[in-house]
Parts: sequence; C-alpha cells; structure tokens
Amino acid sequence: MRTIKAFAAIAAMIFMAACSSNEQQAAAPATTTVTPGSVADFRQNVGDRVFFDTDMSVIRPDGRETLNRQAEWLKKYTNYPITIEGHCDERGTREYNLALGERRANAASQYLIAQGIPAARIKTISFGKENPDPPGSDEGAWARNRRDVTALQ
Amino acid sequence: MKFSRRSTILGSVALAAGSAAPARAQLTIDMTRPNFEPVPIAIVDFSGDRVGADIAGVIRNDLQNSGLFRSISPSSFIQRDVDASAAPRFADWRGVGAAGLVVGQVQQAGGNIKVDFRLWDVVVGQQATGLSFNSQPSNWRRLAHIIADAIYKRVTGEEGYFDTRVAYVSETGPLSSRTKRIAIMDQDGANNRYITDGRTIALTPRFSPTLQEIVYMAYPEDRTPPRVFLQNVDSGRRELLGNFPGMSFAPRFSPDGTKVVMSISAEGRTNIYEMDVRGRAQRRLTNSAAIDTSPCYSNDGTQIVFNSDRGGTQQLYIMSAAGGGERRISFGEGRYATPVWSPRGDYIAFTKISGSGFGIGVMRTDGSGERMLASGFLVEGPTWAPNGRVLMFFRQQPNSGGRAGSVTLAQVDITGRFERQVPTPTDASDPAWSPLIPQ
Amino acid sequence: MAAFDLRLSSAMKTSPSRLLARLLIVIALAVPTAAAAQRQDPVYIEDRLNQLQQAITMLTGQLEQLQYRNQQLQQQMEKMQADYEYRLEQMEKGGGRPGGAPPPRPNTQAAAPPPPSSAAAPSAAGADQLYNDAFKKLQDGDYAGAERGFKAFLQSNPKHTLAGNAQYWLGETYYARRDYQDAMTAFAEGYKVYRTSPKGPDNLLKLGVTLAVLGRKPDACAVFAKFSQDYPRATDLQKRRVEQERQKNGCG
Repeated sequence: MRTIKAFAAIAAMIFMAACSSNEQQAAAPATTTVTPGSVADFRQNVGDRVFFDTDMSVIRPDGRETLNRQAEWLKKYTNYPITIEGHCDERGTREYNLALGERRANAASQYLIAQGIPAARIKTISFGKENPDPPGSDEGAWARNRRDVTALQ
Repeated sequence: MKFSRRSTILGSVALAAGSAAPARAQLTIDMTRPNFEPVPIAIVDFSGDRVGADIAGVIRNDLQNSGLFRSISPSSFIQRDVDASAAPRFADWRGVGAAGLVVGQVQQAGGNIKVDFRLWDVVVGQQATGLSFNSQPSNWRRLAHIIADAIYKRVTGEEGYFDTRVAYVSETGPLSSRTKRIAIMDQDGANNRYITDGRTIALTPRFSPTLQEIVYMAYPEDRTPPRVFLQNVDSGRRELLGNFPGMSFAPRFSPDGTKVVMSISAEGRTNIYEMDVRGRAQRRLTNSAAIDTSPCYSNDGTQIVFNSDRGGTQQLYIMSAAGGGERRISFGEGRYATPVWSPRGDYIAFTKISGSGFGIGVMRTDGSGERMLASGFLVEGPTWAPNGRVLMFFRQQPNSGGRAGSVTLAQVDITGRFERQVPTPTDASDPAWSPLIPQ
Repeated sequence: MAAFDLRLSSAMKTSPSRLLARLLIVIALAVPTAAAAQRQDPVYIEDRLNQLQQAITMLTGQLEQLQYRNQQLQQQMEKMQADYEYRLEQMEKGGGRPGGAPPPRPNTQAAAPPPPSSAAAPSAAGADQLYNDAFKKLQDGDYAGAERGFKAFLQSNPKHTLAGNAQYWLGETYYARRDYQDAMTAFAEGYKVYRTSPKGPDNLLKLGVTLAVLGRKPDACAVFAKFSQDYPRATDLQKRRVEQERQKNGCG
C-alpha cells in the first residue's frame, strides 16, 4: 500500500511538471497526495477497475459505484479519451475468454454511455486471459482477474 | 532448412523381394482393442553413411513415442553384422524378443542420397514391407519420418503421422509481460523456428491444408483490437484477413483451403463469419446475441462445429457450413469448448470444464459416446494428427508465488492410454497439427 | 429513492392515522413519477435489456435440454415398443421363429428350407450375420453404422425374409438422427416394396409419423387412413398408435 502511494506521489509530480498550465487544478484539496484530474488521481481516488463474477459480464453494484465515479470524473476532465480493457481469469478457454473479455468491456462502455459519456470517447479491447494481474492461481487472484480496467489516454 | 516443394523425394518404390505378405499376429496391432501390448521392434542403424545412425534414431524415437511400439535397445542386439540387402538371422532377433526388424542402407547418388529400408516380420521370417527413396541429403529427417510412417501403417493398418509439423504459441517471460509468438516445428520437436517476432501477442495458429500458409490472431501494435492474419510460412509475408471494426479471432481453414471461418466481436456479441481466402468476400454464418466461437469445419467441409453460450453456458453446436440448421450436441455436465472435427470424420474432440477441473475428450459427431482422454488443472485446445488417432493439446500448471506455472504440449492416443509430453524449447500452448507434408 | 426516504422520515413524527394518509399520498405521487423517470433513465433501460437477455438465454438453455430429453425418451420408447412387439409376436407364434426382429437362430433357419446349394450356403449365413450386426449397431446407437449395415444387407439380399424388417430399421436409423427426409423415403420404400412383410404396417405407420414431423399433415392423415384399409388385421398396439397419431394431427 505504501509503495502505491509513493508511486502515486511520484506520478503526480511528473504530471505537474509536464502540465504546469493546469495550475488551478493542482491547487485543489490538500488531503490527497495526487493532482486532481491526473491519471494517478483517477486510479487512486476514482478506481480504474470493475470486477465480475465467474463467467458473467453483468456490472455488479460495487462496479456501478466505481463506474458512477468514473463517469463523474470523466465529465469533469473532458480531455481524456478512454480505453476499457476486458479481462478474464484463467479458468476458461482462450478463444471464449477473448469474447467474454470483449463482452465485459462492452458492458462497462454501455454503462458509461448511459451515464452521459460520449461513445466517441470510449474504445474497448479484450485481453481474454492473456494479461493476468495478479498472476496467481487461486480464487482470490481469479476474482481480481475477472476485471475491466479503464485506461486514460 | 527450408523444404522446397520442388526438391524431390522420388515416390515410394516397393522392393520386389518377398511380396507384402498378409498380416500375421505378432507384427500387427489393433489399436482399438483394449489392452494391446506395444509391438517390440528392433531398428538397426542404417549402413553405408554416417547419417544412417541418425535416420535410425529418428525412426526409433517416432515409433516409441506413438505408444504402439517398444523400441528394443540396440545394445542388446545379438546379430551385429546385419546386411541390409540379405535376410537376417531370424533366431537372433527372436532371441532379443523382437517381432519386427528394420534395416536399411544409405547410398550417395549424384549429390542426392538413396535410402532403402526393409521391415522384416521376425515371427514369420519374411519381409513385411520395403521402400526406396531418393532425396537431397538435407532431407534425411523427413526420409526417416516417412519410413516411420510406412512401418506404422504396415503394423497398425492406420496412416502414419510422423511426417508432419506442429505450429504452436511459444511463451516466455513473466506473466505480467509475457511474450507469445507463433513457432513451427517438426512433429518430433526438431527444426523449431519462429514465425512472428513477439512484439505483440499472437495466438491460435492453424495450418492451411497445403502447409504453405498459417492463419492466426495477433494484437496490432496500436492497441486496437486483435485481428486475424494470413501468413506465408516460407516467405514470411503476412496480410490482414478481413477488416472488421471489432475483434476478429479463432480462425480456421476449410478442408479445401478456400475459406477461413472465424469469430467477429462487436458490442458484446460474437458471431461466426466465413471469409473467402482469395476473393475476400465475407459472409455472416451465425446471428445470436451470445458468444459463438471456436468454429471448425467437418472433414468433408459440409458442416461446422462451434461453441456458444446462447443457452447460458458454453456448449457445442453443429450447423451447416453455409450457416443455419444449428443444433446443440453436448448435454453432459459442465462447459464444453474448442471443438475440433477429426480428419477421419468419426469424432469431435473438445475441452471440457467442470467442477473438478479441465479435461480433453472426444464424442461422436452426434454428441453420443463421450469419452475423456486427459484431465488436469488446465488442459486445453486439442488438435488432431492427420490420421485421426492421436491428439495434441496443452497442459498448464498452476502459477505460484507470482511465477508462471509451466505450459507444455502433450500428446495422447484416442484410447487415452498413452500420454506423453512433446518437447519444446520454451513453454508452449495452442498446438496445431499439420496434415501430412505433401511429398 | 432518496427523496422518498426523506418524506417518510418526516412523516414518522405525526400520528399513525395521518401518517398512513400522508404515506398513501406520497406513494400515489411518488411511485408513478419515479417509474416514469426510471423508464427514461438509460441505465434502467440497459438493465432491463440485460435482464431480458439473461431470461432468453436461460430459456434457450432449458428448451435445448427439454428437447434433448424428449428425444432421448422418444428413442427409448421406440426401442421399448420394438421390444414389446417382438415379444408379442413371439408369443402369438407360440414361441416359433419371430417374424418381427432378430436374432433368428441360424439352425432353425437352416431347418426350414431345403438344403441350399454349396454356393448359396455361406451367403445365407452371411446375410443373417449382416442383419444381426446392423441391428446390434442400431441398439448401440451407432446409427451411421446401422444404416450402412442395413443398406448392405438389402443390396445383397433384397428377397430375404428379413428384407422388410431391414428396410424398416433403415428408416429408423434416419428417424433417430432426425433426418426425416431420408426416413420418409425409406419408410415409403418399405411400404411399397414389402407391403406384405411383417413390418409392412410399421413402415406405413412410421411413414405417417414422419410426414407429420415434416409438417405434411394432409399427407400424414391420408397415410393413416390407408393404414386401416390395408392392414385391418394389424395388432391392437399398432391400431391404437394410428388412432393416437390421427388425433394428434387433427385428421378428420
């Protein structure tokens, strides 16, 4: 956890250095260690991941909360196009999981569009079971692998 | 290393001596019978050239690995002075327990090599088969495989499968940034080479019927969805097959090589399309709101088996190759995936996922007579040897401590009795067995 | 929903009767407007679509299972029926050689006709073997194998006493695989060529059933009508089956 925060702080510093014109945003709440409107802000304070049940692509209530926060944030910071990556755990076959990942990415995309994010801002891509994170072979790891990741560009 | 199709393996000419006698008990094997014993066979180093010992080694390895033969160790041979062109001392070979004896010789013939071999039925005391080949010296491995195929056919009555190649996905590096590239090797692991450069993930290679091309799925470098590529194996020239807005994947050639069937995803729906390889005309074959994928043509090209979750879980369905007439054929417990139609047309092999883990099985083409051949933590993606009697698939061990579990190719015969690991230079998945290499 | 909760909590402070009245008003006002608002909410619409999709998927799966089970039962029934018929016929004939189904014993068979010529003998024995093998395959559910077997039998033994049976079972191999077109042809052939064979009535009955499955109800009804004409002495079981089929297909 500490390493993540440290990483976020460094990322925020880099971001500030790169976009010094965004100064009014950089002056926001002192409670966070990251620049509001930054990639780190999105990951840490909004949450870039939505998780799914086995073999399902229905957005769960916890996922809705995350996506609601994402929608709000994306409406505020309109300069980012996003790519939603769909992923699966390793307990399925390769080809089917590619399609399942696509279905998961599409589910989040539809939800964000319904929340008012323009479809043109959203791309989707599936990685099936090819990019596990974390790389374990137990229930805990599989639950974290059945995910969508919203990546800012 | 490339095998030019113009190079000659001058056709099989049977040696006249001892016309192919009808099969006698010990040197034949009925692999469909339960509890058959592997046929004990002695293979003597071929005489006449240094490569003769290598040829014999490849033949021993092929036959031993089939599970149907037991190669007798040369160190136990009694007769050490076998003349390849004369009858052996049968008593000596019966003495070491051999049912069959393979002898041969290599001769230089104007830049080419000429290889003769004979299979002696030791029990009966006469020649069972014999052939002669001419080829470039660099083709000696292929000659050895072709001889092993001839022996296999004579003894089992089934076509051989040793003169074939396997395309697969070579996997290296940590799971977080794993390199997955397409490789091709001979069926026995020799002549391994890489077909894609590994800069992006490439998966699910499949051979064209002539072996000159492969189709596979790969991620483009610009983070756009994966697409299907058609690549010439020798020249390396590759082209995009179809340009669909969504992801295209799970390609497979029709038996005549004129079409490729594949899955296209858009808006959460995945359907099956057929694409004309030359004219590039494309046609939609399924239209469901579900995931329809892993299509595979029947051996005669008239039907397609695929898996779909339209009924809630992944199951196997068959439809006409032109689309339509879809009907479900799998009704057992669990999820069914990656169906592949046997080149003989008698079975469909599949991956099955159930509470206890993964399995590789076969069923008749109407869905009856299901039999499991292999199982494990994760086994997936069966592919048929061209004789329809052996399958290859991949076996993955659990990851632990952030490290990837090993992923290896495995081979199993259709009775499920004999499984062995297929050696590969790296971790390997997604095997695709080629048809017999055109001679 | 949040607004609704707020109004409720303010209502708590008043007397029960007034509370109830106000609650009713609140519900009357809030529910329709909330529902109307919901209907326009894209998330709500997406949800409804997802739910419908899931329901359809579930029903598709159940339907497939039911069709499968139904087919299994049908096949089982037909096997049982064939078995009953075989037993009945055996009983009717007082334990004599069954006319309906195999296996005919080679020795009883050989006793009846005059000793065949040496050339014909192996072919007759071969014919029985061929028929029995094909029937065994049928029982094992190897329909393609049984098809080949019965075809081979018929080709070499078109005048055999079991030819009518073979033709009927050939039709059954198609019917079991839901290849109704070929089943129809086979049963029709069986009726035409082997009208007087013990399996003649079964051929005709099954021809009608197949026509009905193919959606050709008028033809099916015509066949069932023909049945009563051609086979007035059919077994009760067969007559009952025809009557059932006539009713099922609404034949006049």
